[in-house]
Amino acid sequence: MFLNFAFRYVLAYKRRSAITVLLGAVSTALLIFTSAWMDGSHGQLIKNSVEIYSGYIQVTASGFRENPGFDKLVFDYGSLQDQIKTVPGVDVVSPRLETFVLFSAGEKAVGGMLIGIDPDKEKRISRLFSSLKGGAYLVGTDTIQLYIGSELARRLKLDLGDELAFVGSGTDYSFAADKLVVKGIFQTGLFEFDASAAFLAKPYFDSIMASENIASQVIVLPKEPVRAAQLASVIRKTVGGAFEVASWQQTMSALLKSMKLDSVFGYITLGLIFIVIFFVVMIYTLLAVFSRVKEIGIMRAIGTTPREVLLLLLLESSFLSFLSVVLGGIAGALSAYYFSIYPVSFTGMEEQFKQYGLAVATIPTSFKPLIILRDMAIMFFLLVLATLYPIIKVNCLKPIEAIHHV
Amino acid sequence: MTAFLTVRHIAKSFHLDKDVTVSALRDINLDIDRGEFVVISGPSGSGKTTLLNIIGGLDVPDSGEVILDGLKLTGLSERSLSRVRRDHIGFVFQAYNLLPVLTARENIEYVMRLQGVKGERCRIRSAEISEKLGIVSLLDKLPNQLSGGQQQRVAVARSVAATPRLVLADEPTANLDSKSAIALIDMMEKLNQEEGVTVIFSSHDPMVIGKARRSVVLKDGKLVANNAI
Repeated sequence: MFLNFAFRYVLAYKRRSAITVLLGAVSTALLIFTSAWMDGSHGQLIKNSVEIYSGYIQVTASGFRENPGFDKLVFDYGSLQDQIKTVPGVDVVSPRLETFVLFSAGEKAVGGMLIGIDPDKEKRISRLFSSLKGGAYLVGTDTIQLYIGSELARRLKLDLGDELAFVGSGTDYSFAADKLVVKGIFQTGLFEFDASAAFLAKPYFDSIMASENIASQVIVLPKEPVRAAQLASVIRKTVGGAFEVASWQQTMSALLKSMKLDSVFGYITLGLIFIVIFFVVMIYTLLAVFSRVKEIGIMRAIGTTPREVLLLLLLESSFLSFLSVVLGGIAGALSAYYFSIYPVSFTGMEEQFKQYGLAVATIPTSFKPLIILRDMAIMFFLLVLATLYPIIKVNCLKPIEAIHHV
Repeated sequence: MTAFLTVRHIAKSFHLDKDVTVSALRDINLDIDRGEFVVISGPSGSGKTTLLNIIGGLDVPDSGEVILDGLKLTGLSERSLSRVRRDHIGFVFQAYNLLPVLTARENIEYVMRLQGVKGERCRIRSAEISEKLGIVSLLDKLPNQLSGGQQQRVAVARSVAATPRLVLADEPTANLDSKSAIALIDMMEKLNQEEGVTVIFSSHDPMVIGKARRSVVLKDGKLVANNAI
C-alpha cells in the first residue's frame, strides 16, 4: 500500500520530484566522472612513468637492485630469456646493460649512463622511440651511432652528427673507450633521465664492453600490463632464486606512495563534494517535506503511525534516489567511457605535463564498471541518508502541530 | 454504568509568548454514552477545537484524563495514539483535509487499508458508505475536482468507513452554505443511527446545533451547559 502511495506522491509532485532527481543525477554523474578522472590520471601517470623507460617487470641477478655491480649481472641472459618466454602472459622480453661512463665533447665532460639495448624490442617495451626529438632512432646494426638525451646533449653542446667520446669500464673491468656520433636526440620529459642517458645498439655495445650475452636487467612486457604484479610472481617462481623479479609496483614504490598521497587529497576533495551534496539534498528535502507537512499531519491524525509515515517518506526518497543514481550513473558512465576512448587533450600544455612525468598531454578517464557501481551505491546511500533528518524532523511533530504548521 | 467517553478535569493552556499564557480549557468534566449525537458549541475561542483534539488524542492536556471505552488515552505513546485513532476514532475537519493525491475512493478506503482490510472488502465498504452519502459518482475524482460540500461528504465517508466507535467533527459545516450544512448534519445523524457510531461535533451555527440531541456549551474554556435538546 505504501509503495503504491509513494509512487503516487512522486508522480503527483512532478516538479519537486524532477528537481530532486536532477540534483541527485548531476551529483552522481559528477562523482563518477571525478572518480574516473582521478583513476585515469593516475593510470596515465603510471603508464607514462613505467613505459618511458623502467618497464613493467624487471628481472635482475639476485642482489643487483640493492647493490649494483658488474659481479651481479645476468650472465647468459639468452637462457633466462628463454625461460621467461615460457611463462604465459609474457609479450616481449628485452635485455639492457647499463654502465656509468664519462662522456666528453670538446671541453665539456659529463658523467652519465651508457646503455646497450635491443633497438627493435626496446621500441615495444619503452617510449624511447616515440620520444625522438631530432635525428633518428637506433637500428640493430648501428655501431658508434648514439641515441642521446636532450639535456645531456645540451650539457655537452652536441647536435646531430657531432662526435663525442666516452671512457668507462667493461664488464670484465677492462678499460673501455670509444668515439661515438650523435644519431638521434630524445626527450622523454623525465629531466634526470634526459640529462644522463644515452643508448647504443647492444651488439656493438657488447663488443666494446665485453658484455656479450650479459645484461644488467631483463625487461618484460606483459600482454596485460594491469596484471604485471601477478605475472612477476609467476616469473619469480619460474626463474628461481638466482634472480630478482620486480614488478613496477616495487621498482617505482616512490611513485606509488606519491599517488596514494594524491589519492588522499583527491578523496578529501570528493569528501568535500559529498558534504556539499549531502547538505544541498538535505536542505532541499527539508523544504520539500515541510511543504507537505499538513498532509503528513492529516495522515497521522487519521491513524497513520509515525513509523508508517517514515516508511512512506523513505520509500519516496529511495525511489527518487534510485532514479537519480541510475540516470546519473548512465550519464557518468557514458562520459567516463567516452573520455576513456577519446582522452581529454590539453593541447599546448605538453611542456607543463612533461614536468610531471607525463610524456603526452592527454588524460584518459578510467572506465571500470565495478567502480561506477560502487560510486552509484555510495551516492544512493548518501542521498537517502540526506533525506533522513528532514523525514525524522517532520515525524517528530504532533499531528495537530503538523496540520497547523505554517 | 461507565460512560463510553469520560473526560475528567481536563485543563489546557497555550503559551503565546514568554509571559503570555492563555487558558483554553479549565477543568472540563464530561461523560458521553455510546451512540450519542452531541454538539459542542460556544463562541470562537471558547475551546471547542481544543477539547475535540484532546478527546481524539491529537493534542495532550496539561492535566486531567480522557477515557475512551475503558481505555485511558492520556499518557499513551504517539504510536499507540495513532492506533487508537485508526481503529476507534473517525475525524472530520473544518477544512476537509482529504489527502490531495488520492481519489475520493482511496481517501475513503485509506484508514481501512491502514487496518489491513483486504482490497475487495474495502471496495464493498466504500461503495456501501458512498451509496448512503450519495457520492458514488465522485469516487474516482481527486479532491481538487470536488466542491467544498462534496469534499466534506467524502471526509465524512472516510471518517466512518473503518467503522469507528467515535466520530469527532470539528466545525464540519463551517465552510458550507446553510443548505449543504444541514444536509451534511442530516447525513451524519443518519450514520449515527444506522452505523451506531457516537458522534461529537462542534459548531456555533444555531441551525446545526438544533440538529443535535445533546448540547455541550463552552465559554472561555469552561463548560457552562450540558443539556439534552
